[in-house]
Amino acid sequence: MADLELNDKLAKLLSRAGLGDKQAFAELYESTKSKLFAVTLRIVRERHLAEEVLQDSFVNIWNHAADYATAKAAPMTWMTAIVRNRSLDLLRRPRLETQDEDDFFTLNLEDDSLSPQDLLSQSRDKAKVEHCMKDLDGEQLQTISLAFFQGLSHSEVADHLGKPLGTVKTHIRRGLQKLKGCLEA
Amino acid sequence: MKLTPELRSRLASEYVLGTLRGPARRRFEAMLHDDRALRESVAAWEAHLTPLAERLPAIEPSKRVWQRIEARISPRAALVDTSLLERLSFWKRLGVGASAVSAALLVALFAGNAARQKIDAPLIAAADTPPMIAAVLEEEGEPRMMIDQHRAGILMVRMIKPWQPMPGVSKQLWLVMKDGTMASLGLIDDNADTRIVNAALDAKLADGSMFAISKEPLGGSPTGQPTGMVFCKGMIAKVPKNAVTDVKPARAVI
Repeated sequence: MADLELNDKLAKLLSRAGLGDKQAFAELYESTKSKLFAVTLRIVRERHLAEEVLQDSFVNIWNHAADYATAKAAPMTWMTAIVRNRSLDLLRRPRLETQDEDDFFTLNLEDDSLSPQDLLSQSRDKAKVEHCMKDLDGEQLQTISLAFFQGLSHSEVADHLGKPLGTVKTHIRRGLQKLKGCLEA
Repeated sequence: MKLTPELRSRLASEYVLGTLRGPARRRFEAMLHDDRALRESVAAWEAHLTPLAERLPAIEPSKRVWQRIEARISPRAALVDTSLLERLSFWKRLGVGASAVSAALLVALFAGNAARQKIDAPLIAAADTPPMIAAVLEEEGEPRMMIDQHRAGILMVRMIKPWQPMPGVSKQLWLVMKDGTMASLGLIDDNADTRIVNAALDAKLADGSMFAISKEPLGGSPTGQPTGMVFCKGMIAKVPKNAVTDVKPARAVI
């Protein structure tokens, strides 16, 4: 399968980059830059910001390449998560952010005596996720896709669809729950 | 009130989805540091959702992105100055107090720099040779890292005591100027020396300014100013060239 071959190649390049091999790192960049650029551009929307994200992310990938071995994720997933997180950090929409802050986060986060639990299986089967996405109802799929691909916050999804914030939050929460149920099945 | 399993699962999923934003996102990232089960939950959601992003059609970034990345990454293995490290461990073996160690480290650094400067001398024009600067960065009185000027526009950030792994955390180096303004000098490595290349640097380095390393989200501060706790800091001391023996090293602040 093409995905497996690519991930195998990327994992090798990452481990060599972790040892300080710049040549391997350059090849890693060449193999992934256009996919990762598309991911960030969709979220930050401006080319110069997306370039900044890509640049910061790859410096980060270089600095942490040696840690990849313990990450237990597919290389493309590991790198995409770095790019997505950096993109989301860069989005500065203070007004919308404060609106979005959920009440539960004002709770005392330090009192945490929960036992470890495996919430989800470690399946990396893209086909399965895509199958499960198709199982979502129209509104759940729409809200989750807008949030995931465009990097929209709850309030922005609500604005975009002209729906109340509470309704959007419910669609997203139920959609994710349903997705989890499907993925774990 | 504690977080229920449902809430933890929901937070992890919305973190990966991207709808957990702003201060809440940063608080969640702080929770991740100390909570392996939560990290695993995030990793599971990432394994499920993140590959969907690969469906997006590829878009070519500009060539200058790679040029900038290349300028920012440091060659690692070649950077360890073993003689300096040996001198350091010698001082540590003496068992002197932290501030005495810091003073001693600065002297060692200056001596090392002086030697390097001599070797480098034919390679660079005299006008390019900056005054030597150095600093020992301390954490609770313990020397953690040190920084010395390698050449004009280049700083070496060296490890004295390696860091414990901190997933999801970047360490960012700041120049804190006398008037309190701060300039980012980039991210530093967890367990290897980092070379900072910044052409505009020399003009800003002054006696009495400070280096500080702060805790930041992966990829560095999103605001251009430090957002997390300060891991360690140290005053910059400047020495005139050819004056190594006369140097009274500044004591690094604690």
